[in-house]
This record gives sequence, C-alpha cells and structure tokens, in this order.
Amino acid sequence: MDIWTFGWTVALIGMGGTMLVLWLLSLLVLLLKKIFPYKGEEAASAKE
Amino acid sequence: MESALLAGLQGLLDGPSHLELGQIVMILTGSLLLYLGIAKGFEPLLLLPIGFGAILVNIPLAGLMEKDGVLRFFYDTGVLTEVFPLLIFVGIGAMTDFQPLLENPKIILLGAAGQFGIFLTLLLALALGFEKLEAVAIGIIGACDGPTAIYVSSKYAPHLLAAVSVAAYSYMSLVPLIQPPIMRLLTTEKEKKIVMGIVKQPVSKTTKILFPVVVTIAASLVAPLGTPLIGMVMLGNLMKECGVVERLKHASENEITNIVTLLLGLSIGATMEAGKFLRLETLMVLGLGLIAIVLDTAVGVLFGKLMCLLTGGKINPLIGAAGISAFPMSARVVQVEGQKYNKKSYLLMHAMSANAAGQIGSVIAAAVMLSVLKGMGIG
Amino acid sequence: MATSVIAPMVGKILKVEKKIGERVEEDDVVVVMEAMKMEIPVVAPVSGVLKEIKVSSGQAVDAEQVLAEIE
Repeated sequence: MDIWTFGWTVALIGMGGTMLVLWLLSLLVLLLKKIFPYKGEEAASAKE
Repeated sequence: MESALLAGLQGLLDGPSHLELGQIVMILTGSLLLYLGIAKGFEPLLLLPIGFGAILVNIPLAGLMEKDGVLRFFYDTGVLTEVFPLLIFVGIGAMTDFQPLLENPKIILLGAAGQFGIFLTLLLALALGFEKLEAVAIGIIGACDGPTAIYVSSKYAPHLLAAVSVAAYSYMSLVPLIQPPIMRLLTTEKEKKIVMGIVKQPVSKTTKILFPVVVTIAASLVAPLGTPLIGMVMLGNLMKECGVVERLKHASENEITNIVTLLLGLSIGATMEAGKFLRLETLMVLGLGLIAIVLDTAVGVLFGKLMCLLTGGKINPLIGAAGISAFPMSARVVQVEGQKYNKKSYLLMHAMSANAAGQIGSVIAAAVMLSVLKGMGIG
Repeated sequence: MATSVIAPMVGKILKVEKKIGERVEEDDVVVVMEAMKMEIPVVAPVSGVLKEIKVSSGQAVDAEQVLAEIE
C-alpha cells in the first residue's frame, strides 16, 4: 500500500470513526438520563 | 603498587575522557527540562523525572540503559509492555468528573472535532517523509494527552517515544499560550460575544455509575484494540463514582499514579541517549506536535462555528477550542477569552463539557486509530 | 423594576465588590465567584443602584441563584 492510500484511509476512517463513536456515546448518555432521571433527594443524601 | 594506584586513578578519569559532545548537549537538554519543570512550572511531575533521566543516561560509562541497567529495567518492565501508561489511565479515570459532559451530552461531538489534529498531522508527517507508523506516533501528539501519546508511540515507533512524549507534555502546559490567537482569528466579533445559557441539568447517581460501564462496552466493541485504554480510564472512573471502593480509588489517584509517574518519567528520559535523540527527526517531531495542537484547536473552533450555525446562534464557537484533552486548562482559556469580549459571557461550564468530551475523545480517537490500523493489517 | 444578578454556575462567593446603595454601571463587577478553582467575575447586567445583596463571601451558591438586585 502506498503511503497516501494509507494516510488518507487512516485519516478519513479515523476522523469519521471518532465522530461516530462519540455521537453514539452522546445517544447512550441521553438514553441513560432518560431511564434513570435525576431525583431531587439524591443530592441531599450524596452530600451527607 | 604504583601501577595499581595509577590504574585506580584511571577509573576516575575515564568518565570525563569519554564524554562526547552529543552527551554534553543532552545533559544540557535534560537540565533545560529540569529548569522548565522547576522554575516555569511546566508539568513538573513529568518533566523533572524525564529531565533527570536524560542526564543520567548520558553520563559516559554509567550504563544505566545497558542490559541490567536500572533504567533499562524500568523501561523494559513498564514502557515496552505498555503497562505504565495504562496504570496512569486508571488514576486519570479516578480523578476525572464526567458530570459536565453528562449534563450536556450534545457537546460531546466537540470532543471528536478536537482530535482531528491527530489525523491531519499524520498526513503532514507522511508528506515530510516519515514512515507510516512513525507518522501515526507523531500524529498522536494531537491527542494532547501524555499517556495516550506514550501508549501509541511505544507500540508503533519506540524510537520516537522521547520526542513524542516531551512534545505532548510540553504543549499541554502551553495550551493557554497556543490556543487564544487561533480562537481569535477564526471567530467573528458577533460569535465571540454569544452568551450561552446556564447549564442546570443534574444527573442521577445511577447514570454516573453506569456511564463508565456502558462506555467501555460500547466503545470497545467498535474499537476493540483500544479496550486497554478505554477500559482502564473507565475502571478508574467507576471506582470514583460507585463510592464503595474508596481505598482502591484513593490508591489509584495517589500511590499508584505517583509511583508510575516517577518510573514512567525516568524511563522516557532514559530513551534520550545522545545518539538516538540528537537528530533532525526530533526537531521535526516537536514542530509537527505543535502543528497538531494548533490544528486541534482550529478544527474544534470551526466545528463550534458549524454547531453555532445549526443551532441558530446558540453555541459560542469559542468553546470548540476546549474539545481537546488538556483538562481543565483548555476550558479555563475559553472562559477567560469569552469574558474578554463580553463581560456577561460565562462559558466555563460549557467549555468544561467540551473539555471532558475531549478527554474521552482523545482515548476514543487513539482506540479507533489502533483498530483501523489493525484492520488494514498494519501494526 | 429590579433586575437580578444571578450566579452563572455552581460555585462559591469569593468577594462582594459593591455595597448596597452604590451606583453600578452595566458590566461592572458586582461579585467575584470561584468555580472549578477559577475566579469568575460576575457583572451587572444593567446600570442602576444596588438595592440588595443576598450573599456574602465564602457562601456556596447554586447556578441561577439570585446574588443581588439592581434597580
């Protein structure tokens, strides 16, 4: 494989992949927050 | 008797007579690192052991990096096996609060944009004639994250390890100088003044505990070769958030991190032998590393502009600069810059979200890169 | 009509810069907060006279908490 095929492949899949994985994580966080919403009393007990 | 005396004396004179110019230069370089760490406060926890290691390894005849040398032992045990950076990751996970990111998950994408410097620098390094795997190791300076850079470069281009890690750690502490000019240049007056609302979205403890587990499983499935990195960071974070293994958490962020930082720094310094370090390559790596962080900042801000456009002007593009891993320096820079243009602008918490995303982003970017390389049958 | 000076984020009050009854101009620093180990100056959103100060230095504040009133 010549260096430019290598370079552009790693760069494009790398950037796209990083974006995709982080986007996936943001969805997972939204999902987690939906399933386990914050309830006021937790803060009080956590501070104790 | 006389000849024995002379021979004994000769043992004391051998050192100075074997001292070469390169070694003198490297001893001075090590001293410069000590100076930067001690007098200037640039990442002293790392630059001090690195600088001292560099001095030790350039003393003629001492043989600290020869077979059975003490620094060789540390290097082979911890760096060659990649164990040291991984242990540091546990400590980082235990020290990092992902709350700002959980409060504001839409900003996570900025943490991806802040890694693009890695890949753009890789292309630049190839253009300058570096080998494929060397280019990978140089690009990773753009992760702006010491342990990530050490992990990747010790895997693919151990001969560049010292240059890469010195670049990564020095530029991390120079973030407050490197970023502002780029932020100013790429944003309009109007964008700089955008006021972002107050973030107030508390997160439940269950979410905080599940986050590291979910991230580990999801991200590792996509990028399996990055599992050691992601797994160790998230293990640390799980220990912090669950609150039931206080002792392990405490040990990770204190004793383990401290011991490993010392040994890691010394080992990196030990790779700075004159013959291996005093090359044009080293200067090129340092230069490209700086470019990598400039590109990270630029792409982050440009992505911030895109998000600003898509949200109808609700996002201040300046926070894009915080999508790198240098936490919390970068978020602070954004707060200070934002308030320069609009005193009523408080960007800190938004920038913290982007900054926490940048910390995950750098690990994910490395993980993705390792997996892509593996997929292509390289490395 | 009174305008509130509100805390832009969770933090601690480091210093109250103005006194009750004092005239403040828009963008004058009213309170200095500490958040994430950083000093954050909180400024007056409008010009007017400081009618009430609701916090004192050392106090922990929540985001959106009212710090002072300007009239």
